[in-house]
Amino acid sequence: MLKLEHVTKYYGDFKAVDDLSFEVNDGEIFGLLGVNGAGKTTTFRMIMGLLDKSSGKITLDGKNIDYTVTDNIGFLTEERSLLTKLTVKEQAIYFGALKGMSNDKILERLDYLLDKFGISNYKNKKIKELSKGNQQKIQFITAILNKPKLLILDEPFSGLDPFNIELFKNEILDLSKNGSIIIFSSHRMEHVELFCKKLVILVNGKTVLSGNIKDIKENFRKKNIFLKGDIDIDGLNKIKGVEKVLEKSDEYEITISSKEVASHVFKFISKYPNITKFVVEEPSLNDIFISKVGESYEK
Amino acid sequence: MRSKLNFLINVSLKKKLKSKWFLIANIVVALLLIAVINIDSIITLFGGDFDSKRKIYVIDETNSIYEDFKQNLNYYETSIYGEDNISYEVILSDKSIDELKELIKKEDKSLIAQIYYNDEKNIISKLISLSTIDSYDYQLISSSLTQTASLYTLNSIGLTQEQYNKITTPIEIEREILDEDITSEDEDVEMIMTTVFPFIVLPFFMLTIFLVQFIGSEINDEKSTKSMEIIISNVSPKTHFAAKVVANNLFIILQLILMIAYGAIGLLVRKFIGGDSIINGVASTIGNAFKSLTTGGMGDKFILILIFTIILMILTFVAYSLIAGILASMTTNTEDYQQVQAPIMIILLLGYYLSIMAGMFKGSFFIKILSFVPLISAVLSPSLLVLGQIGLIEITVSIFIMIITIFLLIKYGLRIYKVGILNYSQSGMWKKIFKSIKNK
Repeated sequence: MLKLEHVTKYYGDFKAVDDLSFEVNDGEIFGLLGVNGAGKTTTFRMIMGLLDKSSGKITLDGKNIDYTVTDNIGFLTEERSLLTKLTVKEQAIYFGALKGMSNDKILERLDYLLDKFGISNYKNKKIKELSKGNQQKIQFITAILNKPKLLILDEPFSGLDPFNIELFKNEILDLSKNGSIIIFSSHRMEHVELFCKKLVILVNGKTVLSGNIKDIKENFRKKNIFLKGDIDIDGLNKIKGVEKVLEKSDEYEITISSKEVASHVFKFISKYPNITKFVVEEPSLNDIFISKVGESYEK
Repeated sequence: MRSKLNFLINVSLKKKLKSKWFLIANIVVALLLIAVINIDSIITLFGGDFDSKRKIYVIDETNSIYEDFKQNLNYYETSIYGEDNISYEVILSDKSIDELKELIKKEDKSLIAQIYYNDEKNIISKLISLSTIDSYDYQLISSSLTQTASLYTLNSIGLTQEQYNKITTPIEIEREILDEDITSEDEDVEMIMTTVFPFIVLPFFMLTIFLVQFIGSEINDEKSTKSMEIIISNVSPKTHFAAKVVANNLFIILQLILMIAYGAIGLLVRKFIGGDSIINGVASTIGNAFKSLTTGGMGDKFILILIFTIILMILTFVAYSLIAGILASMTTNTEDYQQVQAPIMIILLLGYYLSIMAGMFKGSFFIKILSFVPLISAVLSPSLLVLGQIGLIEITVSIFIMIITIFLLIKYGLRIYKVGILNYSQSGMWKKIFKSIKNK
């Protein structure tokens, strides 16, 4: 289990991470969300021991994370961190050996992963000769060569097309099934929603939302109504609790402040004869994220 | 499980050794060294008028100078250039001066030496050539004529051979030095300075520059590609730093051995093609110096000098690599590193020039003090030692100071390295560095 307890990080007088706490159990995928500069990368670097924390505690299975346990950790940085003059094979051997792996094991695992990602023919190519997407695949492969106990992925999907995102997703889910703790950041909420059971949203280093996604969604009071038909928009907007009405291609998306408002909306539209759709849905993670981040910025 | 330190050293070394530029650079260096050692043979190979002797037609109006002049000229030439390199042929001519002038117009390199008495019965000589002659030749002929004239004058006043020998035999000087630690043979060591200096100081200077460049570019490469984050998340900055220092020092020592090997090949080639003069001259000077050292009881001391010099140079390599590593960790790209390494180069250059000047300013207190300064000492101390201006005690002190410097560089430099290596911003860099030095 990865556990962060009251972790704080100062850069001079600037507080980059403020009293951050969360737990991720074995086999869980955890999302660390936030806009740029929220403190995600700083948190990852503190977990990896690349940065000293100002206060707090970070443990993996009850032990402090130091160089005695890093062989069991995989790390994918937000920016490319590959030695571009090396070939894919040389790079894998370099990073694999730093994880304490033998050459045979590295090459065996590399062949398996290259095959899985459909890039076996790049094994002896220099990294600088590969496309951005393929470089990202190599970076991901080197991060998971050692079948890590803890895998940290900082924006893993950047530069990837939907097909490759699917490949990454499957591999991440496989690792999770095998008990790996996976913690990752992304700006794409649909990815987080797809993988994560738990998340933390950071704004200016502060935790603004934390917990199980299901609970977060249920507890989030705002709901969305999807409506099809000819209605008086002005009248809809005047209903107490209706926050926003968005006109989409052939339907309306109505944001309401609570579940109870839905009945008022329903009552209002009942008088219109041609209503073909009325659905009340949980908000998307994107809505929650925008709402929470927006609130914090306003504060 | 393999040692990560060994692995990093291995990777760093292999990367350099497998580089095509290492191969190309070494082929070029080997060819250049072999060529430089055999430069006279190469020059001869391309042809030229090297063999024809320059004729000196002597018109001896005194009828008694010619033979002595011929012998003296031969003696001077032999002592300066060696028996096989006599370039003048002295010919007694009975032709008139006008006939000879016409002749040298055809032979262009030939000279006419007209020797006669003036009214006071002093020997006068007139040297006629088609064009200018160089100062070496002029000096050679002038000295031979002066010596001949002295001999003639001494003979003419009726001196016996024994008396003449007494006048002309050089005075033997017996030396006594009151400092018991220094023997008169120390002065002979000066001979080494002219020959060993280019073989020790120059390669050291060159290899130190390579070392500083190699470490800087390697660290910058890992920093600029951000792979440093992955590396440092798996090995400590201490291990990473140690690997860079060890690998690059090993590489430099290997390069030094290769350069010595190229030199040896050059000498073998020279022996094979039958070349001599330059290298034979150098070898004989070194040989004489060694002989003089060993017969004068300096053999042991010389070995110590050599050992101490090597120790000091290796320590200096380490110190320079530590500084280069620290500076590279503070910079974020190769361009910044190029600028920040400039002071190192200037320090190194200062040591190099001071070691040359040491011979000119013998006994300089300032230079002696500077010979203890770390980073300069490796270049300066051996030179002063060879010149007899400092002793083994002083060079031992230099080694001791260098060890302390290395200790301090490791202790405080590692703190800077830990902070710098993962820092990608130049803003507040110096503040971060000073803060890191204070933090344990």
